[in-house]
Amino acid sequence: MDQKKAARVMIFFCQRIDAEQDAHRRLLEKELGSQIKFFPLPCSGRIEPLHLMRALESGADKVYVVTCPEGACCYREGNIRARKRLAYAQRLIEEIGLAKERLELIHVPAGTTTTIDTLARELLAREVFVGPLSVKAQGQERQRRHI
Amino acid sequence: MPPKYHIKTEPVPSRFPAITRSGVIAWDEGCLKCHRCVKKDCVYKVYEKRSLEVREMLDSLDTACKDCFRCVQGCPQRLIQKGLNPQYKALGDSYWTPEIIAALWSQAESGRIPVSGAGYGGPFAGPGFDAMWTDMSEIVRPTRDGIHGREYISTTVDIGRKVMALEFDIAGRITTTVPPLVEIPLPIIFDMLPWSPARRQITLALLEAAQALGTFVVMRQSEMSPDVARYLANVILYIDGDMEDLRGEILKNLLIIEIPDGDHVEEMQKFIKEKNSGTLVFIRMELNPTSAERAVKLTRDGAEVLHLVADEYGLEKGKDPCFIKERMREIHGRLVEEGLRDEVTLIASGGIAMAEHVAKIIICGADALGVDIPLLVAMECRVCRRCKEGIACPVELDSVDPLWGAERIKNMVAAWHSQLLEVLGAMGIREARRLRGEMGRAMFFEDLEKEVFASMGKRV
Repeated sequence: MDQKKAARVMIFFCQRIDAEQDAHRRLLEKELGSQIKFFPLPCSGRIEPLHLMRALESGADKVYVVTCPEGACCYREGNIRARKRLAYAQRLIEEIGLAKERLELIHVPAGTTTTIDTLARELLAREVFVGPLSVKAQGQERQRRHI
Repeated sequence: MPPKYHIKTEPVPSRFPAITRSGVIAWDEGCLKCHRCVKKDCVYKVYEKRSLEVREMLDSLDTACKDCFRCVQGCPQRLIQKGLNPQYKALGDSYWTPEIIAALWSQAESGRIPVSGAGYGGPFAGPGFDAMWTDMSEIVRPTRDGIHGREYISTTVDIGRKVMALEFDIAGRITTTVPPLVEIPLPIIFDMLPWSPARRQITLALLEAAQALGTFVVMRQSEMSPDVARYLANVILYIDGDMEDLRGEILKNLLIIEIPDGDHVEEMQKFIKEKNSGTLVFIRMELNPTSAERAVKLTRDGAEVLHLVADEYGLEKGKDPCFIKERMREIHGRLVEEGLRDEVTLIASGGIAMAEHVAKIIICGADALGVDIPLLVAMECRVCRRCKEGIACPVELDSVDPLWGAERIKNMVAAWHSQLLEVLGAMGIREARRLRGEMGRAMFFEDLEKEVFASMGKRV
């Protein structure tokens, strides 16, 4: 539980899922302070593996990418691109010995209206949690070999 | 003739990439791997110099892009798109619009007048200051070279009570006591901030900028700290505590003290004058429907400067509030009717968001004005008001470097100063003092509407 409290979560999300996202996330930001960070994106397709890696590098223990429902992207395939990029980033972090669950994609279900704070609370309340970041020894060895 | 007032500026880069109006949305998937990619053809090298700001995860693509759409049109697979950025639209609110915030950022960064090359695409009238047009009939002279070169246009204003006539005794000596008068080189003072994160660094930035510009910062008595000691000549101390707490040496060094309006205002003014007769006393009045009567009474009672304050949207207190420009016109008009206007100085604060508001509020009757939120915006504030709710500032204003902040503020004020000169030049006025109350040289949409449509029976 203590581990869960200390974990830092970063949430990248498509701004189209919640028009009032700026107002909705304030309470959560106030409650949790630096423990949670939101990054609104004009489209989830804007996410790049680099964003996700940098998020982990800057101290996030878990990174979520929240997209609009499949088929509902206003740039047609932004959320599909996001899924592919996240999968690529997951492969990269697995290579260095991190659990791929540290990066997770959340599709907002079609036909529902949700606010970003409700969604974030649901994500934070999940039982499965990966705990603070620590690179496995095996991965570190592999990294060294590559160098 | 005194030397020309000039603010030296130089570009001061932002700490965080600005939130831009539009963003690049480019897919890599499906790329045909053309021999010559359109991204390589970008004349601004936006793709080559691409970087990521990690604290806010802002991509340099968006800030560096100049909206030429060359890549968007050139990609054979149509993989690059430009879209409006919803985060930009969410900046500020209906008064502090994203356009105002972005223009202030650009002025603070460059120190120059923002130029939009595609003309003005907006409506010709709107609420508040947008319902006011100034007469620019002298547009052919002086030339721009004149404004910044040969011609001398003064933006200096005098703050204090003026005597209408001097009296002499038989021996020819002046018997009139001349009240203290402070001259500031531009009609702008820095007012108290309605909200901000922890103030220490921000205050130092304001003081540093005020010192360099030759103006003043209004500071609460409770915010005084040893750091402020070397800036006392640029501080207007606002008394929000016990007057007896003021040490004699502070009173000696302060040029201006501000007191809140209230029942004991005369006693407070007398107390300050007894300690140091050379101190100028501002009376801070919150605007309300009875402000004009109150201003007349206070002026008759010997007030030196009335600091008239509206809220951050330029609105007064009370139900169905009036906008600052209307109330200032009324107060100025009443004082003129009573023959008291030249005796007292009026300073207006609240809702001053753009350079044009400086000229407009002076035309409405203010001698000078107080700026607040734009000072924060110059230091990259996004007017999200998270600090007001106790949430961490997204641009870490609480840890701003005072010297960097001061340079940004100086740049913004320099751009405003240049724009004031443009307005004065275009109106054929050579002094900011003479712009005060020049309502005959401006048109007010509400008045025109009434004039044109009232006779037709339209309710306006």
